[in-house]
Amino acid sequence: MSAELDTVKKALAAANLADVEIMERQGAVVLEGRVKNWQQYIEAGYAASGLGFRGVVNDLEVEELESSKQQGISSPDDLSIEKYSFDAVVIGGGVIGCAVARELTRYNIKVALLDKESDLARHTSGRNNGMIHPAMAVKRGTKKHQYNLRGNRMFRKVANELGFELKWPGSFAMLDKNWQLLLGPYARGIASKKGVQGFQVLSKWKVKELEPNAWEEQKGSFYMPETGVVDPYKVTVAYAENAMQNGATIFLNTKVLGFEKENNRITAIRTNRGTLPAGIVINAAGIWADKVAEMAGDRFYTIHPRKGVIAILDKKTGSTQNYILGRAQLSSEAKTKGGGLVPLLDGNILAGPTADEVPGREDYSTEPHELQHILEHHLVLNRALQKSDIITYFAGTRACTFEEDFIIETSEYVENLVHVAGIQSPGLASAPAIAVDVGDMAAKILKEKMDLKENQDFNPQRKLTPQPDRLSLDERNQLINNWPAYGQIVCRCELVSEGEIADAIHAPLAARTLDAVKRRARAGMGRCQGGFCTPAVINILARETGRQVTEICKHEPGSELILGKTRVKGCEQSAN
Amino acid sequence: MAAAAAAAEHGAEVLLVDRESRPGGILKQCIHDGFGVIRYEEKLTGPEYAYRDFEAVRAAGLKVLNNTFVLDLKKSEDSFSLLLQNPDQGAFQVSATALVAATGCRERTSRQVFIHGDRPAGIFSAGTAQNLINLHGYLPGRRVAVLGSGDIGMIMARRLALEGAEVVGVYEIKSEPSGLTRNQVQCLEDYNIPLHLNTTVTKVHGTKRVTGISVAAVGADLKPLAGSETFVSCDTLLLSVGLIPENDILEPLGPEFDAKTGGPVVDQRMMTSVPGLFSCGNATHVNDMVDYVSESGFIAGKSAAGYVQGGGKRGSLKVNAGKNLLYVVPQRLITGEEAVIYFRSAKTMDRVTLVAQAAGKELFREKYLKIRPPEMQKIVLQPLPPEVESVEISLGEAT
Amino acid sequence: MEKRELTCIQCPLSCRITVSGEGDQLKFTGNQCKQGIEYARQEVTNPTRTLTTTVATAFPDFPVLPVRTAGEVPLGKIFEIMKVIRAVQVEQRLKPGEVILENLAGTGTALIATADMCEGVNATAVKL
Repeated sequence: MSAELDTVKKALAAANLADVEIMERQGAVVLEGRVKNWQQYIEAGYAASGLGFRGVVNDLEVEELESSKQQGISSPDDLSIEKYSFDAVVIGGGVIGCAVARELTRYNIKVALLDKESDLARHTSGRNNGMIHPAMAVKRGTKKHQYNLRGNRMFRKVANELGFELKWPGSFAMLDKNWQLLLGPYARGIASKKGVQGFQVLSKWKVKELEPNAWEEQKGSFYMPETGVVDPYKVTVAYAENAMQNGATIFLNTKVLGFEKENNRITAIRTNRGTLPAGIVINAAGIWADKVAEMAGDRFYTIHPRKGVIAILDKKTGSTQNYILGRAQLSSEAKTKGGGLVPLLDGNILAGPTADEVPGREDYSTEPHELQHILEHHLVLNRALQKSDIITYFAGTRACTFEEDFIIETSEYVENLVHVAGIQSPGLASAPAIAVDVGDMAAKILKEKMDLKENQDFNPQRKLTPQPDRLSLDERNQLINNWPAYGQIVCRCELVSEGEIADAIHAPLAARTLDAVKRRARAGMGRCQGGFCTPAVINILARETGRQVTEICKHEPGSELILGKTRVKGCEQSAN
Repeated sequence: MAAAAAAAEHGAEVLLVDRESRPGGILKQCIHDGFGVIRYEEKLTGPEYAYRDFEAVRAAGLKVLNNTFVLDLKKSEDSFSLLLQNPDQGAFQVSATALVAATGCRERTSRQVFIHGDRPAGIFSAGTAQNLINLHGYLPGRRVAVLGSGDIGMIMARRLALEGAEVVGVYEIKSEPSGLTRNQVQCLEDYNIPLHLNTTVTKVHGTKRVTGISVAAVGADLKPLAGSETFVSCDTLLLSVGLIPENDILEPLGPEFDAKTGGPVVDQRMMTSVPGLFSCGNATHVNDMVDYVSESGFIAGKSAAGYVQGGGKRGSLKVNAGKNLLYVVPQRLITGEEAVIYFRSAKTMDRVTLVAQAAGKELFREKYLKIRPPEMQKIVLQPLPPEVESVEISLGEAT
Repeated sequence: MEKRELTCIQCPLSCRITVSGEGDQLKFTGNQCKQGIEYARQEVTNPTRTLTTTVATAFPDFPVLPVRTAGEVPLGKIFEIMKVIRAVQVEQRLKPGEVILENLAGTGTALIATADMCEGVNATAVKL
């Protein structure tokens, strides 16, 4: 046994997991055998990490989960993508995949992006708090730190080009003990070393002055002005739409089932919709990245989902808070529970997220204790907030590796594969920078086999559809005059017009479900949570897409909203 | 429509603004009968009741703007300025001396009663289901569970049963139904729909469409009892878990709100703490009888006309909901004027006496054989002398 | 007849009335007033209800029209009447009170419109 494996063995023994079998494969340490529960699975993974291997492949079976099955998708199988062939294929339509796809359209190559869902950002990218972190909470020397800092500084330019909303409220990391203020100079030093700009230590009184409703128990705060907020879903869609405008093709409902390889190269991707020849493959599969890596023949890491529950508060709370509020985390342990209160772009406040290790990668069910945690740890940070302000809550999972750092590299074992994996917080903030580097990595590989040139027609500016509420009264009236649909409000809580909903449905990346319309156009996002506008949106979706109302889904096939019609013209119709 | 008609009748120039394409509000989809028992001594359906008001509005030649939304609302010294928008006229400003908000209420959502589990398709508020079935002819579910025994929940249970859906049960967290007894008899018992009291829904199952729910018995603290959870298979969960008065568009004006009713504090003329701003119907407090909704609309409309003509009196005397009372409306009174007072009891009580007192002096007394929170009560208080500072209304043992 | 328990809905008291006996010999207990007896007698001998539902129309902007029975119909015949109603389609724009069908399922009661189809549209999102 090698010295490194021996260290792993000792570390596992120290964690009372001596029964775990270990071996080395492709430079990674592989864990096999059985453990009792998920907690042991997680402990084993961490015990084996950071000990000189490329990564931890955790193949432990968990006794308690024997009966649980893997989730599949029910998309109809066809061969509709067989006719295509691409130079570069990105797997995964999250913010990273879409940003990379857009980056690749800067070259004269054919780019495709595949996602198994019916819309983009269905998982981690659409289920986070939308924060652009200031790079304070990440360890120096990690990829996370490097990309966070670069990404943060790129966001203004990207927002400008892609036309998504971005604001910089700045964040407070509040202290609850007086002695912690003594750490001020030390923290300032760290901030400076990490490149965090504008870092300040604020007294309790200054915090009160700037944020009158701030946490009762705060004794002062660290302040980081370079903390931003975006709508992560809209950022993802913005990247994707600009990629499409520059020639990329996006295939939704397309799941990767395997790869065809020759020697150490991928030649084609097998999917539920046929086999797609590909020159280079970018694995941006998020919570499933390790499974894709395994199919490609280079799995050296394990993604273990860390669930986070988020609550959204009524818009009327927006006026009670100016900054992003959280508690200072004085340990740099990556796993400590963070979260806080984020003032969102449309006036709502977001509370959360929680952080719990869970086995289900797409288990988005919520539990009462998670909401309780949000109430006790997050809601209290703004004294004006009440439980009754909560209009909705939902869960997401973070795509964590046991090494707790991003994996952004070309594969050591597959010539034309790039891994972009383990992208958890601050992944959103890092996305613009990650995309640039992955673009370069891809270009380098492509150059070996083809004459790679710049795409002369690349236009970084995304074409936008009208947003009536951003216009002057005159401009708005001109818009309504040209198309009255912009004057017909459908969602009364968020004041979304029929025109905006139709635009979302006819966008390059068409919103085809109730949830997609909701996330694209905000219809149903408000305090009544679609209670009033759902029937209208179903009708608009059916009309604009030429489908029956019974075919309109909430989010994916099988989530139909209407199960039948009560009356059908001129014949006796039974509801049964 | 009641407020608009009354304001016009009392000499005001009136504009009626409605966001829907046809007037009538939620009555349009309430196709069941039982409306107008007090006002017309008939059991009309919702659309019929609304039609009568609309005929009156039409006869009075009132200006009605349909499909029109309030985008912004401001108050200057002596007038309100509204930014309205509709597809025909675009966005435009309108100003008014008085404003009546008859904006109704909205339904509480599954998240506002803290249901956990998954978020599949098939979770509807009872009102959304009512809209789908009664205005569109769409069937939202085939095997349906209903959480909450509010009137709309029970009425929708019957409606679904009539359309061939199987209603597996109505689950009510409290120990008695929260809707009217009539609906319990004619909506549930008539159709053999089981009502489970002291039971709630703890979890929704299913990632695509609802596949079932977990239900649990609750203890006296309304918390689920450990070990009592069972799985009920269904494809739809309807929620009838309470209504919230909708006054969000009034927020820029900052009227005082009553935490108990969820609506603005009003006096007997239905004027809020903002001079010239009136509230009526379910926007003031959630009613169970449309007759009272209309009545408050008439009062608000008449008062608004009076305000425009310079009758700017304002109620300052406080009405307090005393012992065993959930709330009273109005919460302020103008002395020297008769007042219609609506109230709800805090719990079900037999043989009780309602007493209204001011400074130890009894103003009003009435006996009730039985009184229940779902059934709102109304009394008429005679004009008060100017020296009265506050009135307390309470329910006690019959004497 | 076996004993039947009913909840009286004539007033807020909601008396639980127990009915026993046969034919003219019905016995009522639990009621606190005479109205309760009348209510319970009707409920055990011939319960009737007003049926409210919708019928199909020929107009896409008003796909279903709310209707009701002009008077009360026997409770036991409700599903039979629903069967008749499901086969109907309204071909003209009606106003409240206009008759759609006479003598529903032999009850002698008519089916009438309850909503005004002439003013505005019913279904959302069909006008643009």
